[in-house]
Amino acid sequence: MTRTWLVRLAPAALGLVLGVLALGPALGPGFALRYDMVFVPGPEFSARMFGLDGTLPRAVPSDAVVTLLSQVVPAEPVQKGLLLAIFALAAAGAAALVPGGLAARLAAAAFYAWTSYLAQRLLLGQWALLLGYAGLPWAVRAASRDGFRRLVVALVPAAVGGFAAMLVTGLAVACVSAFGGLRRFLLALLALLVMALPWLVPALLSPAGTDPRGVRAFAPRADTPFGALGSLLSLGGIWNAEAGVPGQSAWPLAAARLLLSLAAIWAFTRLTRRSRPVRLARALPVRLARALPVRLARARPQAVHDGPDRADAVREGPRRGPGRDAGPAGDGTWAGAGAAAWAPGLALAAAAGLGIALLGAYAPGAVEWLVGAWAGFGPLRDGQVYVAPLALLEAVGFGALAARFAAPPRTPRTPRTPRTPRTPRTPRTPEAPDGRKAREAAIARGFAFAALPVIVLPTFALGAFGTLGAARYPGEWSRVREIVDGDPAPGALVSLPWTAYRGFPWNGGRVVLDPAVKFFRRQVVWNDALRVTDAASGRVIEVGGEDPLARRVAAALHGPGPLVPALREAGIRYLLITRQEGANSNTFPSRLSGGRPIHVGRELALYRVEGPLDLPRMSSLISLVTPVWFITVSITIWSMAGSSSSLVPLRSLRRARP
Amino acid sequence: MVRVFAALFVGAILAWGTSVAVVNLASPTPNPPNKPLYNYGTR
Repeated sequence: MTRTWLVRLAPAALGLVLGVLALGPALGPGFALRYDMVFVPGPEFSARMFGLDGTLPRAVPSDAVVTLLSQVVPAEPVQKGLLLAIFALAAAGAAALVPGGLAARLAAAAFYAWTSYLAQRLLLGQWALLLGYAGLPWAVRAASRDGFRRLVVALVPAAVGGFAAMLVTGLAVACVSAFGGLRRFLLALLALLVMALPWLVPALLSPAGTDPRGVRAFAPRADTPFGALGSLLSLGGIWNAEAGVPGQSAWPLAAARLLLSLAAIWAFTRLTRRSRPVRLARALPVRLARALPVRLARARPQAVHDGPDRADAVREGPRRGPGRDAGPAGDGTWAGAGAAAWAPGLALAAAAGLGIALLGAYAPGAVEWLVGAWAGFGPLRDGQVYVAPLALLEAVGFGALAARFAAPPRTPRTPRTPRTPRTPRTPRTPEAPDGRKAREAAIARGFAFAALPVIVLPTFALGAFGTLGAARYPGEWSRVREIVDGDPAPGALVSLPWTAYRGFPWNGGRVVLDPAVKFFRRQVVWNDALRVTDAASGRVIEVGGEDPLARRVAAALHGPGPLVPALREAGIRYLLITRQEGANSNTFPSRLSGGRPIHVGRELALYRVEGPLDLPRMSSLISLVTPVWFITVSITIWSMAGSSSSLVPLRSLRRARP
Repeated sequence: MVRVFAALFVGAILAWGTSVAVVNLASPTPNPPNKPLYNYGTR
């Protein structure tokens, strides 16, 4: 049993080790603050965390969950735990999809937990999206099997991540479940809907819009010498050059990553050799138009293939059945095709995700037209996020590749194909009795495979060589928070200077979203318009903000004359000025006659707008959001209590042989 | 023997690539301008 536990937990342990290696200095005392990753000490619940402040709910419910956890454990370990959990969950999930031996599972785990995708999104601070990435293998596995509760539980990481995480996961889950019959597909959609409600309802009712100019700003770009297509196939291609892993564009390593990715895709297609479901996937998207309606027309969940044994294998999933026991055959195909019931859907999701990304890279005009026609297409503008299913596909393929090369010779070895006219492979047969030595060599090869993803992206280690780090907020921030949150009078706070991102000296100059956005319980108005520099042309792309109140405040700030009357009309109670070298901190105070300085320190200056404010009407959203949260939380608890499956497959452990 | 040579070749390529990346990283490069206020990023 001990050995079984070790084998089962090895991928998660490997993920944890890789997480420690990747985060490096970010695990030190303080918070890892970079771009969109803003954690604050002692966070408190605010309307923004529930999408009630009129902006698009991009941090719903991730910030609320962090705040909830921070009521029990300090926020610093909460952040570190979440970041490490991403690596462990991702590695264990990818390994769970590979029904091979330890070598194959470790290889898949390492591949999935050490991709350019994960590295770049982490360096852009999008930890909430990465929760969805980490939960993706579990969601894919659950979507290929019956059980609403099982799927709900598997969707928890993505649901915590929120908006972007659920969109990526939803793509994969919808594709995978579509191959399991109409009932499973509809149940999957229901599970996705339930888990998306906390951000979906505020998003649909939000007055915020999406600027089509964001399409060109956030389109995937080439970050290797192999163009956007090569970069995306290598799982990179993020729009922001600042989020690149140092040295990632050096062509030897870029070429090695691309080769590894292509080999993994090839190995995944090899799985189709003896597996009809995957053969179906190989024919996609050509057969999609024909195959999908056939699948949807079947009311009863059924495997893609025929025969009761295969259908049982699919229902039980990769933990049982011939696929699980036998693992990939020596030639890199599934010995039991039932294990790959999710494969066609994953292939479809990977193709669709890659298609979305390529559309943004090569035909941004089409995406612009879509976003312009309906703001609901706004999430398509950052197309590279949808490459996550391809990353999972490649990880599985890489695991199969490892199984192919690291499989110990079997005795007696069956011929690969009956058509081989030659005599059995005699050269290997004499070694077979010495099984232990062969097994050790196979394990060594397996570990070598597991090291390959790290070798081809070495500079992701140590917080991408210092790109990530940890820093503590100066004490002044907490003192200002006491003043602002201690004031019972209503009114919002405006954070100045009027840009979204800062480079604090105490954070090592790392660029980070203005922490004021998350520091206060009171509503914070900040400039959510984004400026992206196009390195090729040198011009700055301005992507309009989404918050109507921010636009109103911006008009007042950019206009002439005293600020206070305009701020009063906008319902602003406080002005917070981050005093930074290089920023003209005197601009605003000179226009603040009528504003009373409450705190003027080395880092921050706080002004109060005295007098009566024109307060905006309370959002009616709260009457909708409360029941929505109740529904999602209740169904999640019900699913966790009743599901026989969880992210840690305990039932499988009990069933496993000692 | 062919496998050994293939492994050596691949290993050499990877070692070279890794060292190039690390040396590039460690070599002195011009610091970015000390801008306290930043754009969201650079394409």
